Amino acid sequence: MEEQEILLQLNNVFRKCFKRQDITVSPETSAADVTGWDSLTHMILINDIERHFSIKFKLMEIMKFNNVGDMLACIKKKVNT
Amino acid sequence: MLFNSFQFLLFFPVVTIIYFLLPHKFRWIHLLTASCVFYMMYIPVYILILFFTIIIDYLAGILIENADEERKFRFLIMSVIANVGVLCFFKYYNFFAANVDLLLHKTGGTANLPLLNILLPIGLSFHTFQAMSYTIEVYRGNQKAERHFGIYALYVMFYPQLVAGPIERPQNLLHQFHEKKKIDYDNVVAGLRKILWGLFKKAVIADRIGALIDPVFDNPHNYSSLAINVAVFLFIFQLYCDFSGYSDIAIGTARVMGFKLMTNFNRPFSSKSITEFWRRWHISLSTWFYDYVFNPLVAILRSWRKWAIVFGLLLTFFLSGLWHGASWSFILWGTIYGAALVYEFFTQAVRRRLFGMLPLWLNHALSKVITFTFIALTSVFFRAKTVTGAFYIYKRLPGIFSELSTSKSAARSRLFGDLDKGALLTCFLLILLLELTHHKEGKEPLDMFVGRQPRAVRLGVYFAMAFSIYLFGVFTQRQFIYFQF
Repeated sequence: MEEQEILLQLNNVFRKCFKRQDITVSPETSAADVTGWDSLTHMILINDIERHFSIKFKLMEIMKFNNVGDMLACIKKKVNT
Repeated sequence: MLFNSFQFLLFFPVVTIIYFLLPHKFRWIHLLTASCVFYMMYIPVYILILFFTIIIDYLAGILIENADEERKFRFLIMSVIANVGVLCFFKYYNFFAANVDLLLHKTGGTANLPLLNILLPIGLSFHTFQAMSYTIEVYRGNQKAERHFGIYALYVMFYPQLVAGPIERPQNLLHQFHEKKKIDYDNVVAGLRKILWGLFKKAVIADRIGALIDPVFDNPHNYSSLAINVAVFLFIFQLYCDFSGYSDIAIGTARVMGFKLMTNFNRPFSSKSITEFWRRWHISLSTWFYDYVFNPLVAILRSWRKWAIVFGLLLTFFLSGLWHGASWSFILWGTIYGAALVYEFFTQAVRRRLFGMLPLWLNHALSKVITFTFIALTSVFFRAKTVTGAFYIYKRLPGIFSELSTSKSAARSRLFGDLDKGALLTCFLLILLLELTHHKEGKEPLDMFVGRQPRAVRLGVYFAMAFSIYLFGVFTQRQFIYFQF
C-alpha cells in the first residue's frame, strides 16, 4: 500500500475516533494539533488503527510514536509485509 | 542539609566556586563528593543503600544495552526488582506488617510480624524513581548506557535534586555532566533569582502558613469550624509553596553551575480541571507515572478500550498515593484523584457542552473554583496523619454555616478561635502576592519580565525579597514537607 493511501485511510480513522469531520492529518501532525487527541485517548486511537489496518503494534513501537509520521512508517512496514 | 539552613548558605557558594575553579575532568569528582557530603548530613550509613542501587543500575544499563531482546527484558526486571525491593523494605515493610497483623487479628489468627525500627532514608522515593527511569530508557533505546561509573553515580546523586527532585530523566541530565560548563552571567543571575524566589516561598509563605495552621490540624477539637475551613484552604498553598519552593531552589542551584533541570510546577491553581492540575503539579512525578506506568499499562490493555483507561487511571493514582507515603490516608488520597480523572474522562463532552453555554470568563472562573475547591478538600487526606483524623476534619467543615449564621456577637468574635488575626491577614496578603505573580507569569515568563526591568528596579526587588526573607522568614529549621517521601 502506498504512503498516500495509508495517510488517507489514517485520516478517516482519526475522524471516526474523535468524531470530527474537519480533521486533516499530515506526517507532522502530533497530539497538540488535534482536539481530543490527548494522553488518555491516545491508546483508543492506536486500537482503532490496529483494527482498521488489521495489524498489531508492539509495545515498544507504540512507545516511540511521537507524531502521525511515526505511525505512518510503522503501518506501512506492517501492511506491506 | 536543608536548603533553608545556614549550613547550605555556606555549602552552596563554596561548592559552586570550587566547581568553576577546577578543570573539567575533575569536576565530576568534586560534585560527587559534595553530593555525598550533602546526603551524609542526614544518616551517613544510608549512603550504602545508594551505592548498592547505583552499582546495580550501572551494571544493568550496560547489560541491557548489550543483550538480545529477551535477556534485555530480564536484566531490566532484575534492576526494577532491586530498586523497588529497597524501596519496599525501607518504606513499606512496617505498613505491610502492621496491616497483615491487623487482618489476621480480625479473622482470629495471629502472625506477629516483627516491626523494623528504622528511619526512612531521605529522598529514597525520589532517587529510586530517577534511577529506574535510567534503566527503562536504556531498555527502550532512548538512552545510551553510561560507561563512566562516576558520572552515572552523579546522575543519581546530584545534590540539588537528590532528596526531593525534580525526578530527572537521563536524556535531559546525563549528557550535561559530560559537557564543559563555563561560568555564565545569565545562568548565575537566573539561578540566584530562582533560589531567592524559592526561599521566599518556603521561608516566608509556606512556613508562615504552617505556623498558623499546624496547631489547627494537630488539635482540631480546639478550633471552630471556620478556623478548620481556613486551615484546610490555606494548607494547599503551604504545600505548594513548600514543595515548589524546594524545586525552585534545586533548579536555581543547578542553574548557577550551568545545569538545566526540568520544570516541576506550572501555576497549578490556574487549572480548569483535575486532569489539567496533574499536568501542572509535581510534573516530574506525574510524567514519570505517565511514561512508565499508565502509558505502557494502557497500551498492553488497549483492546479493553475505555476500560483500559479507567483501570490505568485508578491503578496509577493508587500507586501515586502509595508513593507519597505508606498509609491509608495517602492511598485514599491517590485513589480519589484516580476516580476524579475517570469522572472527567467520561463526562468531558457533557461538561464541555454545559460549560460552553456560559460566557467564557464565567466558564473559566467556575472551572477554576471547582478544581481548586476539590484540590483543597482532598488535601485533608494528605495533611491529616490518619484516615480517622481526615474524616473528623470533614465532619467539622459544614459547621461553618451554623457558626456564620449565629447572631450573637460574642460567639462571632470567637469564630477564629486561637487563630492569630494578624498572622491570618499576613498569610492572605502573601497568597495574594503569590497569585498576582502567577497571573503575570501566565502572560510572560517571570524571568524575562524581571530581566527586562531597569537595573535599579531589579536590585530593589531582589533586596526587598531578601529583606522579607530575613524579616518575615521562619527560621526554626522547618523541614520541607516532601522530605518525608
